[in-house]
Amino acid sequence: MNLERLFKKKNDEFLLYEIDLFSATDEELIAISDRMGIALDLSEMKKIKDYFKKKKRNPNDIELEALGQAWSEHCCYKSSKVPLKKYVFGIEEKKIITREDAGVIEFDKDHYYCAALESHNHPSAVEPYGGAATGVGGIVRDIVCMGAQPIAYIDPLFFGPLDLPYKDVPKGTKHPRFLFKGVVDGIRDYGNRIGIPTLSGQVYFHEGYTGNCLVNVGCIGIMKKKELIHSRAKAPGNIYVYVGGKTGRDGIHGVTFASAELTDDSEESSRSAVQVGDPITKEPLIHVTLECNRKGLLEGLKDFGGGGLSCVCGELAYDAGFGAEIYLDNIPLKEEGLAPWEIWVSESQERMMFLVSEENLDTVLHICKQWDVTAVVVGKVICEKITRVFYKDRKILEMDMDFFTGGPEYDTYKRPFTIQKNRKSKEKDFKIPDLNQVLKDLLKNINIAYKEWVIRHYDHEVRGNTFIKPLQGKLNFESHGDATVIKPLEKSFRGLAVTANINPRFMERDPYWGACSAIDETCRNLVSVGASPDSLLDCLNFGNPEKPDKMGEFYEACRGLGDAARDLGLPFMSGNVSFYNESVKTAVPPTPEIMGIGIVPDIRKCVTSDIKNQGNSIYLVGKATEKEMGGSEYYSLIGIEGDIVPRFDAEVLKNCLRGILSAIEKELIASCHDVSEGGIAVCISEMTIGGNIGTEIDLLKVGANLRYDFKLFSESNTRWIIEIKKGKDKEFEKLLSKNKTPFEKIGKTINKNIIIKDNNKTIINLKVTKIRDIWKNTIWNIMG
Amino acid sequence: MKQKDVKVAILRIEGTNCEQESYDAFKRLGASPEFVHLKQLLHIDCNIDEKRDVFDFHCLMIPGGFSAGDYIRGGAIFAARMKSKLGKDLEKYVRQEYPILGVCNGFQVLTELGLLPGIDRIMTKVPDAVLNINDSDRFECRPTILKHENNGKCVFTNKIPKNDIRLIPSAHAEGKLLFPLDKQKEYLEKLENNDQVVFRYVDTDGNYAGYPWNPNGSFSNIAGICNYIGNVFGMMPHPERTFYHFQHPDWTQTKLSDVGNGRAIFESVLDYICKRF
Repeated sequence: MNLERLFKKKNDEFLLYEIDLFSATDEELIAISDRMGIALDLSEMKKIKDYFKKKKRNPNDIELEALGQAWSEHCCYKSSKVPLKKYVFGIEEKKIITREDAGVIEFDKDHYYCAALESHNHPSAVEPYGGAATGVGGIVRDIVCMGAQPIAYIDPLFFGPLDLPYKDVPKGTKHPRFLFKGVVDGIRDYGNRIGIPTLSGQVYFHEGYTGNCLVNVGCIGIMKKKELIHSRAKAPGNIYVYVGGKTGRDGIHGVTFASAELTDDSEESSRSAVQVGDPITKEPLIHVTLECNRKGLLEGLKDFGGGGLSCVCGELAYDAGFGAEIYLDNIPLKEEGLAPWEIWVSESQERMMFLVSEENLDTVLHICKQWDVTAVVVGKVICEKITRVFYKDRKILEMDMDFFTGGPEYDTYKRPFTIQKNRKSKEKDFKIPDLNQVLKDLLKNINIAYKEWVIRHYDHEVRGNTFIKPLQGKLNFESHGDATVIKPLEKSFRGLAVTANINPRFMERDPYWGACSAIDETCRNLVSVGASPDSLLDCLNFGNPEKPDKMGEFYEACRGLGDAARDLGLPFMSGNVSFYNESVKTAVPPTPEIMGIGIVPDIRKCVTSDIKNQGNSIYLVGKATEKEMGGSEYYSLIGIEGDIVPRFDAEVLKNCLRGILSAIEKELIASCHDVSEGGIAVCISEMTIGGNIGTEIDLLKVGANLRYDFKLFSESNTRWIIEIKKGKDKEFEKLLSKNKTPFEKIGKTINKNIIIKDNNKTIINLKVTKIRDIWKNTIWNIMG
Repeated sequence: MKQKDVKVAILRIEGTNCEQESYDAFKRLGASPEFVHLKQLLHIDCNIDEKRDVFDFHCLMIPGGFSAGDYIRGGAIFAARMKSKLGKDLEKYVRQEYPILGVCNGFQVLTELGLLPGIDRIMTKVPDAVLNINDSDRFECRPTILKHENNGKCVFTNKIPKNDIRLIPSAHAEGKLLFPLDKQKEYLEKLENNDQVVFRYVDTDGNYAGYPWNPNGSFSNIAGICNYIGNVFGMMPHPERTFYHFQHPDWTQTKLSDVGNGRAIFESVLDYICKRF
């Protein structure tokens, strides 16, 4: 096959090729797509061929590149649209004000909050520092381009085991320790520099992430209602103003790179797909954008995300039913010699596109100038529904909007999928081990141990609005909290709480119940601090959708998310799908990361997880503890395989939410922590560590007829441990009964030890200081 | 003068990012703060109504952040841009006893400007101290407790009793105060004799206690100092982050009042300005 004959150089002044689709065979069409790296399949290439046949000319390289971007998996969700529509879309839609780069929901009568959650997985696997940093940069632009002030970051991260022997690191993959450090450094250096607090997240280690780490980034913003701005033109004649950093070769084909599996030479071949971040261009860019918007100078606004100029120019016009004329000559470049198609699809960071009316142009350019932010006019909105691009006085791209930006409809596109039958193996019987030792080992376990090493790298207090911190407890004795709370408005005590969760061990065993559990945990965490769950975001990280079993996992997870969220009346305000999280050796466990946002009516009533005083009663509140040991940290520790993962009951959860929130409202609760990884034992441990106060409980009334190790370490959903203020037991019990919230009094806070009994027989007795030492050092010891 | 007439310039350049909460701190106390970009003082790219002069203000504050990215020593670029054109004005401003506050990155800027430590002159040509990389070699965001050790010279702490213990949190990578190594002791003696040491890091019992209570390894546990006149003050921890009690990291354990430990810094300087001008 001689491809060269199909690429015809069009002129000598700059690099532009005409691509001869007319004379290309099917095989050659695929080869063209491969060579250009645009990841279009045969049917799509044929569709393009037909289109240009009607136009009676062959396309230029820039036109094919543009279509590659516009139609890629990343942009159009072609594998995910059907299952998402079937299960996840359409829940409580009336709450969503709009859903563009970020979802928007009412915060109070004068304000909206908005939020977005995305993956930046492949770039971070290849270049962890740059990949993570630009992930942060990208998500903040999504918030700013709605007209909102960013107020919080959320960073869920997933890596292979930190102690992985070097011989087990697959070829072309970086060691998890290197990735972990690089990613955290990247988030720190970018997030801290632009002055947005990193409030929440998750750090999880599992063999499945060795070949393909996951880096998800979320951001929340706040705005006055009248400041909401849309990513679409208002009228023909609106001027495109390019604002921010220069355009370079970094981040070319980022979109198409995200839509294929990682291979062992991804390092070599895909480095250019990772953008380079520059927070000190971004920080003033946020200022000018928000200032221009607040002053009402903008007609439309969009950030440069996947697909670069190509997507931005197209979508701003298309969504308003117009077209665009763009002149590439004015685009500021990082280096000379870029081909026009490179300028058109580059995903260089720190760029925004303003649409401005003629009369406001000078004012906008002046504001940009004051902050030393580059701003140039690059084109205008036109009536015809056509995109035209000019370069050095030549027209080099001309395509109909409906074809180009509208893209192919994949609404009925259904990838084949198979749903795994639940594995039925009989759990083998085993003797109860020494539980003092088990608890110590669990606390040492990296997925349970103290995450201070990560959290303190991030400034979680900048902007001064963080009223409940990610680490809670006595000064320098802090422990993990369930959710973080910010107070976004100067003149109101109303707060926003945020948390992010997924349990990959549940997911790999049962994607349906695993997904339900993620939503349960999200609600549990929000309620623990006193927040009423308000909205959800999902970042769906899965394997290769062309493999039916991976697609099956996706279907099951979506079904679970949809069922749970619908029963609770919680909308998904925004989300992201990331497929192809596979490398040569491993696929990631299905990882639908769930971020939850809750509303706190008055932040002065918030509750934290640390035990407050000696002599207070301790309650277990919520669903019955059951033998649901599949995917538990306990089984993982002792090497037993379990079938049944925790199940979920929306009715019980709803009652509990009501019960606990009304007790917090009445200020009866001293501390509250949800029961998750490691069960009741780990939950109580974390509470005692944060308060530096002991606890004595008896398991007699917990989960009738269960073995006491199951009672202690089961990770059944919808449960909390709650410490009640002195003298408030009766009132608390009455309130919970009224709300049909199940509870058992199981013990009290004491001096210095954590003592756990089962029907008066002591099974665990450890000093709080001792378990603290074990728990707090794991990550420090590895990372230094 | 009256509190509401006190004009405070919250100075900023690209990468300044604690300006909003610093602005809020003054605003909440009834003063009149204003965001001022350095270019407005340098009269670059400004319309006439945007031009400002340091003498338009009764107080300057340089907030925290990563000015110009801080890719070289923290605060160095901000200070260089300021000093080249405003050096003389600043010297005059300080001589006339107008107060200047630098928090975190702002402390770094004041040090790079040569306004701090300001032991025997208002401004030195080259920096006389440095805020070096933390001993832990990393950025750390953590609660810190400060003991007020000033005997009354510093105009930013005149409302705080001596030896009072205050929770004011830190978040920085370069906060270790160092003087020329061969003169550390000499400098310390002068600072103490001049009553220029304002805050030291301590533990909850008020003892000097090393890491993590001293988050950066700062010489002699120093967290904040003022110049010999007492009107230029720099500190690494962020008083604007504990303006309210509800911003304290452990407030759910110690609910007392609405007043946070950092608020008195702002109250003190406003009190000083109202009485002095």
